[in-house]
Amino acid sequence: MARALELVVSGVALGGIYALLAFALSLTISTTRILNVAHGVFFVWGGAFFVLFSQHLKLHPALAILILTACFFAFALVFQWGIVRPLLGRSVHLLLIGSIMATFGLGLSMESALGYAWVTYVDPYPVFTSSLAMFPVALGGVALSGSRLVILGFVLVMVTGFHLFLQKTFLGKGARAMAQNFDGFLVIGLNPYRLSRILFTLAIMATAISGAFYVLAVPLNPYEGLPLTLKGFTVVILAGVGNLPATLVAGAVLGLAEVATSQFLGSIWAPAVSLAILFLVLVVKPTGFFGKGVY
Amino acid sequence: MAIAVGVIAGLCVLPPFLSSSWLLIMFLSFVWLVMTANYDVLDGFLGYINLGQGAFFGLGAYVATILINVPAIQKLGRLTLIVTTVSALLVAALFAAVMAVPLFRLKGLYFAIGTLILIFLLQVLALNLGPLTGGSYGLYVPPVFFMSTFVGYYLALVLAIVSVALNFYLSRSALGLAFRCIKADDAAAGSIGLNLLKYQTMALVISSLPTAAAGVLFALNSGFIDPTIALGVERSLLPPLMAILGGAGTVLGPVFGTAIVRIIETVFFHYLRLPIPSMLFFGITLLAVALCIPEGLLKSPRVRRLALFRALAS
Repeated sequence: MARALELVVSGVALGGIYALLAFALSLTISTTRILNVAHGVFFVWGGAFFVLFSQHLKLHPALAILILTACFFAFALVFQWGIVRPLLGRSVHLLLIGSIMATFGLGLSMESALGYAWVTYVDPYPVFTSSLAMFPVALGGVALSGSRLVILGFVLVMVTGFHLFLQKTFLGKGARAMAQNFDGFLVIGLNPYRLSRILFTLAIMATAISGAFYVLAVPLNPYEGLPLTLKGFTVVILAGVGNLPATLVAGAVLGLAEVATSQFLGSIWAPAVSLAILFLVLVVKPTGFFGKGVY
Repeated sequence: MAIAVGVIAGLCVLPPFLSSSWLLIMFLSFVWLVMTANYDVLDGFLGYINLGQGAFFGLGAYVATILINVPAIQKLGRLTLIVTTVSALLVAALFAAVMAVPLFRLKGLYFAIGTLILIFLLQVLALNLGPLTGGSYGLYVPPVFFMSTFVGYYLALVLAIVSVALNFYLSRSALGLAFRCIKADDAAAGSIGLNLLKYQTMALVISSLPTAAAGVLFALNSGFIDPTIALGVERSLLPPLMAILGGAGTVLGPVFGTAIVRIIETVFFHYLRLPIPSMLFFGITLLAVALCIPEGLLKSPRVRRLALFRALAS
C-alpha cells in the first residue's frame, strides 16, 4: 500500500513537471495558431542559463531568475518580430507548414549552438543540473524530494496566474477572442501583431523560468528540447488545446501512466507511453478529453 | 522534355567518371529525392502535411535487414533479394494502409503531429525489441548481400525517376485531379461523390512504396542500420524542407529542392569543413526557407518569369 502511495505521489509530481512544460505551449497554439516546435528548446535554454548564472557565475538564484527573465524578454521580442510576425499574415496551410519549419529550424540551430558552446566554453560534460532544492520531504510516510514540491507549487501559481490573466483582464479577453475566431478578431479591428507580441513575450518568459525550475528536479541535456516539445504536445492535446486548467490534470494523467509503465513493464517502455497516449487521443478524440477549453 | 531526357542520359553515363565518395553522395541524393518526391504526393497534391515519411523509410530498411539475416531466406540464392525487397514493400504498404484509417480522421496541425509520432514510435520499438532489431547496437547486412554503390547508383536513379514520373502522372491524370480536388475542399469533394478515405489511403500507400524501396537500397548499401541512422527525425523533416524549398505540388519542385539542399550540404560539410556544428547551419537554412520563400522556388513569381523556367515548363 505504501508502495502504491509512493508511486501515485511520484506520478503526480512528474505530472506537475509535464504541466509546466505544456501550459505556455497551449496558450500560444490556441491563440496565434503558431505551432512552436522550438518550445522545448527555449525550456532547455532557460534551464541552461539558470545553471550558468547560479552555479558557474555564483549569482543568487533570485537574481539569476531576474536576469534570465530579462534576457528572454529581449529574445521574445526578437522572436516575435522575426518569426511570428511574418508568419501571421499567411493562409492557414502556409502558416502551419511555415511555423513548423521555421521553429523547427530555429530549435535545431539553438540546440546545437547551446551544446557546442557549452562543451567548448563552460563544461565539457553538458548536463544542466542544480543542487539548490535537494532537501527531502517526508509526506505521510512517503519520501519526496523538495524540488518536486517547489515545482508543483510553481506550476499552480503559474497556471492560476495565466488563468486569471485570461479571464479577468482586457488583454486576456482579446486573447480569448483571438482563439475563438481569428477572422472575427480582425474584423472588429483588433491588432493581432500587438497581441501576439504580448502573448509570446509572456509565454517565452514563463517557459524560460519553467526551465529554471525544471533543472532543480531533473537534469537536462542540450539535446532534449525536441523530445520535450513532443511531451508538451501530448499534454496539450490530451487536455484540449487552450484549456489551461486541464493541462494540470492531463499532466498528472501522463505522469501516472509513465510511472505505472516503468513499474510494470520496465523503464525502457516509458518513452513509448506519451507517444501511444498522444496517438490514441488524436485518433479517438482530437479535441481533448476535458471539453473545449476555457476560451 | 528534351532537357529532362538529356539530364537523365547524363546521369546514366556519369558513374564511371566519379570517385567513390562522389558516387556515394549522388546515391544518397537520389535516395533523398525519392523521399522528397513521395512527400510531395501528400503535401502538393492531397494537401496534407505528412511528417512521417521517414517512418516508411526506416520500416523498409528494418524489414529488409531483418529478413536478410534469416537463414531460411538466405538459402533461396538469387531469390533472396527479391523476397526481402518485396516483403519490405508489402509491410510498408500494409502499414500505410492501416495507419491511413486513423490518421486521415485528422487534419492540418493534428495530422502533422499524428504522423510525426509514427517515426518516434518505430524508434522506440526498434530500440526495445532487442532480439529482433538488435536494439541500439543495430543490425548488419551479411557481406554476401552487400550492394556496391555503383549498382546502388543505378537502382536509386531508376527509383528517383519512377517517383518523379509518378508525380508527373498525378499532375496530368484523373487520379491526381481527385487528389487536388480533396486538397481544395474536402467537403465539396466528398459531396460530388469522391470516396475520400479511398483516395487518401491510396495517396499514403503510393507515397510509402518508393520510400520503403529507398530504405531497402540504403540498408543494403550501407550494410548497417540502427535507430538513429534509419529512423532519425531528419528522415521525416528533411523531405518537407526540400519539397517546400523547390515548390510543393510542382513536379520539378522536389528535384530542385533536393539538389539545392544536397549541394549546400556537400559544399559545406565535405569541402569547407567549418568549425561549427552542422545542425546549426541546417537549422538556419530551414528558418530562412520558411520565412523568405513560403511557396517555394518554382512557384514564386520572380522565378516563373525566367526564360529557363519557361523552357523547363514546356
